[in-house]
Amino acid sequence: MKKVGIIIAFFAVFLCLYFLQANFFTWFTIADVMPNLFIIFLLFIGLFAGKKVGAICGLVFGIILDFCIGKSVFMYGVMLMVVGFLGGLLDKNFSKDSRITIMLMVIGMTCIFEIGIYLISVLLLSANLEIVAFLRTLLIEIIYNVLLTIIVYPLFPALGYPIEEKFKGKTILTKYF
Amino acid sequence: MYKNKKSGIIGIIVTIVILIVIVFLSNVEVGQLSDAQNVFTSLIMPVQNGLTYLKNKLSGNDSFFTDINRLQEENEELKQKNKELEESLRELEITKNENERLTELLGLTEKYSNYTTIPAYVINRDMNNYSNMIVIDVGAKDGIKENMVVIADKGLVGHVVSVSDTTAKVQTIIDPSSTVSSTLTTTRDNIIVRGSIEGESRLKGTYIQPDVLIAEGDSIETSGIGGIYPKGIHIGVVKQVIPTKNTTDRYVWIETAVDFTKLETVLVIE
Repeated sequence: MKKVGIIIAFFAVFLCLYFLQANFFTWFTIADVMPNLFIIFLLFIGLFAGKKVGAICGLVFGIILDFCIGKSVFMYGVMLMVVGFLGGLLDKNFSKDSRITIMLMVIGMTCIFEIGIYLISVLLLSANLEIVAFLRTLLIEIIYNVLLTIIVYPLFPALGYPIEEKFKGKTILTKYF
Repeated sequence: MYKNKKSGIIGIIVTIVILIVIVFLSNVEVGQLSDAQNVFTSLIMPVQNGLTYLKNKLSGNDSFFTDINRLQEENEELKQKNKELEESLRELEITKNENERLTELLGLTEKYSNYTTIPAYVINRDMNNYSNMIVIDVGAKDGIKENMVVIADKGLVGHVVSVSDTTAKVQTIIDPSSTVSSTLTTTRDNIIVRGSIEGESRLKGTYIQPDVLIAEGDSIETSGIGGIYPKGIHIGVVKQVIPTKNTTDRYVWIETAVDFTKLETVLVIE
């Protein structure tokens, strides 16, 4: 599959996740808290397709989300771009073969994404600052995201390495030496 | 990658089961436990009845075995009839739901007849835990503009924040960025009602003057101050008064009149 085909496949997966998140996960909640599938997806893209593709995909998908349901343009755009970019950076220092590492990455990315979104809401959109309630929600969301990561983890290496070969084919081995 | 494929699959299945159990337990209410009892009863009792029936037959009636062929034919006929009945039931259910929705919209329009309103369906909800927006299926083509007020059968929903040709985004009153100037229906004292991330259908009432008498069950409505929401739209009732050392800091939790988890039809006030 060519790079363009993979990008189109990313977009198709994004649409599936959008409908899943908007319909299924609005009622399949833990204590009224939804997971965030986009964080896991953008982390996947960043890890296997590189920081540039991760950042661009994050920005595009985020802006689509902003247009569809967001309160301000670029809120999701910027934060998903950060997740995609950081995913690419993490690839240089950590192994993708360990389930625990991926789970820790999801925990970190969920924290960064949600704290960023909440800070933007508080500082720019004058949302009320409720630290205890925010931390409680964040903790449940992290647990939910980690559980989903355990379920979808086998897809990471199975789908990820062919993608990595296409996007980082020439540099894939040089980083280890 | 999983070292052992079999244990990996078992791990995934166990995680899915744990997830389903957590989701179920976190959403179950105490009152629903009687339903669980009913479920168990309805699962076990037919089997128990069947076993009792079998035991009675075996102990004294030989004709039970000779009738099996006839019973099988009858069973097939009944299954066919049951299938047909289920199909008609499904059709009826669809018609009933459609009827209920239309009646709800009609009722809404009559209730708020002093306002010119545009009926709409909720077509999308927010996917973030820290904001609460909805998208409705009417837009600029239907005459929707920014800052128009959105209501439901039991009270206030929010206001329009952005409009496309065919849809409009509505910031609900339970959104953490939402602030509504409100009045206690009984004493006519003003308070400020804010959205919160602490659960849906819950608002925080603040800026309560020290001399104001406020109690659980007090009704809250819009005050008309602020320029967006008109006066007198029901918001909800006081669920809990939280006293603090300093009386100026005390606040109340308000239960919204509208159930935002089941919100399907709304009216936009022109």
